[in-house]
Amino acid sequence: MNLSSEDIIGWVAAKCEALGADDYSIQLFYNDEGQARFSNGSLTITNRLLNKEVDVYIAKGRKRILGSLSSMKKESVTAFVEHLFSSLTAGGAESDFPRLPAGPFSYSYNGDFDPQVDHFDLAGNAAIAIEAAEEAGAKRVAGSLSTNHVRLWIRTSTGVDRSEERSRFLLNVRSFTDRDASGHGLSVSTTVKGFDPEGAGRVSGEGSKSCRHPREVEVGDYTVIFNPTVAADIVQRVGQSASAFGVDAGLSFLANQLGKTVAAEDFTLIDHGQIVNGVGSRSFDDEGVPTRSNVLIDRGVLKTYVHNSTTAVKQKAELTGNAGLIEPHVWNLEVAPGDYTLEEMIRETKKGIYVTNNWYTRFQSYATGEYSTLPRDAAWLIEGGELKHPVAGIRISGEIPRQLKSIDALGKERNWVKWWEVEVPTLAPALRIPNVRVTKASG
Amino acid sequence: MTVLDRDLAERAVQAAMKEEADYVEARLHRNVEQLATLKNGEVEAPGYGDTLGLGIRVICRGALAFGSTNTLDKAVVSDLASRLARQAKASAAHFKDKVKMSREDVHLAKWRAEEKESLDDVRLEDLISYLKELDAAAMGAGVGTKLASRLFYIFSDVEEKYFTSSEGTKIESRVPRLMVYGVLTAAEGGNVVQRTIQYGESGGWESLKRMDLQSKVVKESGMVLKILKDAAKFVPGEMDLLVGPEVAGIMAHESVGHPGEADRILGREAAQAGESYLTADDVGLRVGSNEANVSDDPTIPHSYGYYIYDDEGVRARKRRLIAGGAITELLQNRETAQSYGVDSNAAARAVRFDREPIIRMANTFVEPGDYTFEELLKEIRRGVYIRNFMEWNIDDKRLNGRYVGHESYAIENGELKGLVRNPVVEISTPKLWSSVQARGRETEFGAATCGKGDPMQGAPVWHGGPHMIVKDVKMGAR
Repeated sequence: MNLSSEDIIGWVAAKCEALGADDYSIQLFYNDEGQARFSNGSLTITNRLLNKEVDVYIAKGRKRILGSLSSMKKESVTAFVEHLFSSLTAGGAESDFPRLPAGPFSYSYNGDFDPQVDHFDLAGNAAIAIEAAEEAGAKRVAGSLSTNHVRLWIRTSTGVDRSEERSRFLLNVRSFTDRDASGHGLSVSTTVKGFDPEGAGRVSGEGSKSCRHPREVEVGDYTVIFNPTVAADIVQRVGQSASAFGVDAGLSFLANQLGKTVAAEDFTLIDHGQIVNGVGSRSFDDEGVPTRSNVLIDRGVLKTYVHNSTTAVKQKAELTGNAGLIEPHVWNLEVAPGDYTLEEMIRETKKGIYVTNNWYTRFQSYATGEYSTLPRDAAWLIEGGELKHPVAGIRISGEIPRQLKSIDALGKERNWVKWWEVEVPTLAPALRIPNVRVTKASG
Repeated sequence: MTVLDRDLAERAVQAAMKEEADYVEARLHRNVEQLATLKNGEVEAPGYGDTLGLGIRVICRGALAFGSTNTLDKAVVSDLASRLARQAKASAAHFKDKVKMSREDVHLAKWRAEEKESLDDVRLEDLISYLKELDAAAMGAGVGTKLASRLFYIFSDVEEKYFTSSEGTKIESRVPRLMVYGVLTAAEGGNVVQRTIQYGESGGWESLKRMDLQSKVVKESGMVLKILKDAAKFVPGEMDLLVGPEVAGIMAHESVGHPGEADRILGREAAQAGESYLTADDVGLRVGSNEANVSDDPTIPHSYGYYIYDDEGVRARKRRLIAGGAITELLQNRETAQSYGVDSNAAARAVRFDREPIIRMANTFVEPGDYTFEELLKEIRRGVYIRNFMEWNIDDKRLNGRYVGHESYAIENGELKGLVRNPVVEISTPKLWSSVQARGRETEFGAATCGKGDPMQGAPVWHGGPHMIVKDVKMGAR
């Protein structure tokens, strides 16, 4: 027999209590995902993914465990919970064995949900994006359009009992005019109203048309203007480095930097548990703690890491509403806007490069932030304050900490970014960074 | 082995066929996973996951639809399959390029990876104990100095599947896998050296003994400390490059395997993982020296990317990707094989029930040559030996690759000299493979999780090869 959502939560909670759990957190996810993928202007597949999952955290004595199960059958759920109890494992240091935070808590679900997600015409809207790209000059168009309707419930041993619904609409579209001339467009929204497949298609098509016949540039140090898509990739690495777990594990270039200047004075970074149009929004974290907005970097100064109860106890810090039961994590990042237009940034640049997309960011050391990444799609050489010609075949490298401190201009316009390369939804402006190393392959 | 409810999968096929589907496949797919984490010697909460669901793929009027559910109920499954067929029909007008499958043999088969000590009997306590041994090994390494931080994960996965199609193929399989991942960090003053390690095999608990990870972790930990202390600044310039099996493997994976994926060449991944420098007509194209020989083989026993039948029911075999410097074969699934007018070479894989099968590498490697390591060294008057790497990436047409050395040594007059810090090779794909001069006779493999697809699919793979000389390379430094 398949259990209903209320039945599952109640059943698991009752089993946890009957088996003597000190703490438990039960989360149930229903995710109805639709997708239309396309390439060469033609659909390649439509997807309908109907997933249910129950996630359980149990602590008893000094033992704990996490589990996830996809079956909603009563006998499977029962066997699963019993298996978790029989597999409870000792862990944590004596001084910082975590207990789930006890409320009472006050929540404020922002209601950012659009029921139209259930009836959205995926193929038709993909066609709109393709047509807009082609009208703007694209010869080939590829991409994916996805929708998610997520329903989420939580119940904990500390009395938390909440549920909420979220919707999201994501489009990633890439246009080509030649094999080496492409443009990229995104639309990221929680509602149909905010979703713009036509605009994303047009931007990608225009990008592909404007960057035909790219040339090589000399290896060297350039002032690089990262458009919001590229800026978001770098910024998400900053947000991820703010995880207190990563700080302990040697995976963060923000370790030992609390209270210190880590970025330019104009750079402020906020993580929002929920924000309108933030597709990573939740009103509670995995421990049932209300999410909130945390200023991670305030005018260049690192103010806090993000925590779950384990890392907060260990680092003697306040909870931030960012659990992850093992690793705390950011939800939706926002970079405060600057006061530059893109044109002003370019006009002030003597020798530079403007990049509109990137991929394959990798690190020599997460602890130092030494990285490189590859611009892709439209990019231009800037000389004497003007875009001179499209460029291709380049790589950017450096150290994120140094580049953060070197930011000398931020855009006033910002875009939400979330796509294949940017996992954390990020509201980012363009960033201008001087003295960025630009290289290319030999041979 | 779990008893999967085959009847559900058969019902899905029947339901979609009733809606006039031209082709239907259904895959019951279960992953039972365990994860243990040890951070600086402390045990984090371990994890156990049991994911079972049904993936259904339907072709109707040239349109392809995929759907999945983990509500394994007869009515739900039949309804989803019917819905997918109708969904495909309704979207057919938007499929300008009609989807068709190559004709392949029908198989009735049951296969499993070798497993002497079943992972079904392995408990989280066993995984944690193992990590504690590794951590102790890491802390025992080095003289007088210790690692600043250590992070270890161990992950076990028992993957069981039942595949059935409207063409009559029915295949049942089981692959257990173990994977260990670690991050080792040494730091002193502002000086930091970091190394990520990953090992993985298919097989039971015995595979951990086969991999002998304690001794490998001791060596890796000691080397991180040694690099921190001893590595000299690398002086860039043009020189010969000797790469170790780990580097040869990543080069093969990134600049031969990926650009040789037929779906990428046809543009299906253009907006995500990108395209390829190769075109549809490039089989036979010379891209390297006679010493450039790269293959991909899913059937290597114990390999992390092991399988016998792919997730379209096609029998797997070794694929020669580059032989004697020429492109000999692309990685194909049934859809791309139909476009190319060839047979599928069984490259389609799905990592969970809720993912469509797409073209993936399995175990990609540079074929061995006949040199000993010492003979390779003697070939080099001035050069650098990059034994393994940290940072790497490549552009989305797979032409511009970069690999930054971790354990690296200067070479002078055929001899290894001292450690050097972070040498960088940044090289085009044709230049790389045209400059391969000699290959060692011993092959080693490493494990990785390869990302592709949308929604993302992280597939277990091996990559490797022998030591390999790349002649006259312009080397840089970080």
